[in-house]
Amino acid sequence: MRAEPAQTSDNELLKAIARSDESALGSLYDRYRVILFGLLVRILNSREEAEDVLQEVFIQVWRRAAHFDESRGRAFTWLVTVARSRAIDRLRVLAARGRLTEAAKRDEWASVSDADTDAFYAERSEIVRRALQEIPEEQRVTLRLAYFEGLTQSEIAARLGTPLGTVKTRMRAGMVKLRELLGHQVRNLL
Amino acid sequence: MVHQEYKELLSVHALTALDPGDARMLTAHLEHCSECRSAMDQWEETAALLAFDAGAAEPSRHLRERILQAARNAPASSQAGGQTAEATNVIPMPVRRSHGFSMQSWAAIAAVFAFGAFVISLLVLWSQHNASKQELALLSMQVKDAQQQLARQREAIEIVTTPGTQSVELEGTEVAPEAHATVAYDRSGRAVLLANNLPPTPEGQAYQLWFVVSGKLIPGKIFSPDASGHGSVEDQIPAARGSTGFAVTLEPEAGVVAPTGQIYLRSGS
Repeated sequence: MRAEPAQTSDNELLKAIARSDESALGSLYDRYRVILFGLLVRILNSREEAEDVLQEVFIQVWRRAAHFDESRGRAFTWLVTVARSRAIDRLRVLAARGRLTEAAKRDEWASVSDADTDAFYAERSEIVRRALQEIPEEQRVTLRLAYFEGLTQSEIAARLGTPLGTVKTRMRAGMVKLRELLGHQVRNLL
Repeated sequence: MVHQEYKELLSVHALTALDPGDARMLTAHLEHCSECRSAMDQWEETAALLAFDAGAAEPSRHLRERILQAARNAPASSQAGGQTAEATNVIPMPVRRSHGFSMQSWAAIAAVFAFGAFVISLLVLWSQHNASKQELALLSMQVKDAQQQLARQREAIEIVTTPGTQSVELEGTEVAPEAHATVAYDRSGRAVLLANNLPPTPEGQAYQLWFVVSGKLIPGKIFSPDASGHGSVEDQIPAARGSTGFAVTLEPEAGVVAPTGQIYLRSGS
């Protein structure tokens, strides 16, 4: 992976945000808006809902930055976890209201305008997708259903018409395989 | 469940894909097991990699300013751990000064103190006897309360673990930014609210659950948090067309038919 120009670290940005530094919040948003928004659109299938949730995520970052414990993990992991959690919650509320939209077509997404950002995420995206291709399809399917649709093991078993025990085995095996394939690159990817 | 079984659940928990029963057991285990917490952190990093499978997308240009404006209007980040200086409740003993007393004087003084200590001991024992009786009565009441609470928790678990249960998250408002709650409800509308980090209620007041249906607020049940800020209540979602949102306000402990107090928790709807 090509070297990145020196920039303020994520942890330093979070410390600045904890001191109510708006420009730090803006910098963190600029750094991760593309990948986080992409994740939210994938989960919610709606740009409007995804933007609402992205705003909620960064307001939570604004409020909770002082509580981030860098010894427990990376800032990006925290951001992604918060974003996914909020998106899944919103998905459930929308489902309860019967307001889930049709899956957005890929060409309806705004194209990434910044060429550097495109290469930055495209590179990582390519690495992760290549790794996922090495995971058996039945395991990969369970990971994606869980991650992007927020389904539990029982719900996945019901969706696929597969025994629960089989789903449990496949999901665990898929995660173990993903870690084996990418674990040594986590530092570079995240 | 043995420890190895908990470890085998971690990777799936990082995907938040455990069924509710397993998730609850593992969450309780993680509170006490640093080994598993550390392993959990690593599994969450692995799970976060899946975000790159979603692909990239650019939000609208005005969203950045919207977020910064919302941050300006939001309360600033609190200090880590909410640490504030706690008032000490240690009162230093006064320093005794020595006086030029004779041995006989010391003996007389010592005798007086000894007799006084004896009388005080009798009074303390008598007081402790009465306190023990009261404490026993209090403990009996607490056991009864605990049994009732256990029964309520069993009912709540039943609702949450029913297949097809939906859940909605409630966030704390400015008066309780750390508060959070989840409302889980099954197909029949049986609902349970589980709240954390709620401030203690003033005397004579309690939290009240509200159902927000088509813009109208329908009163739900009253509840009070425990000393650690946890609160729960079971209720029945009113039968109505349209989606239901939820809110929690602080009200008189008998409850009200229309909200009068501040909103402490609300759902996104």
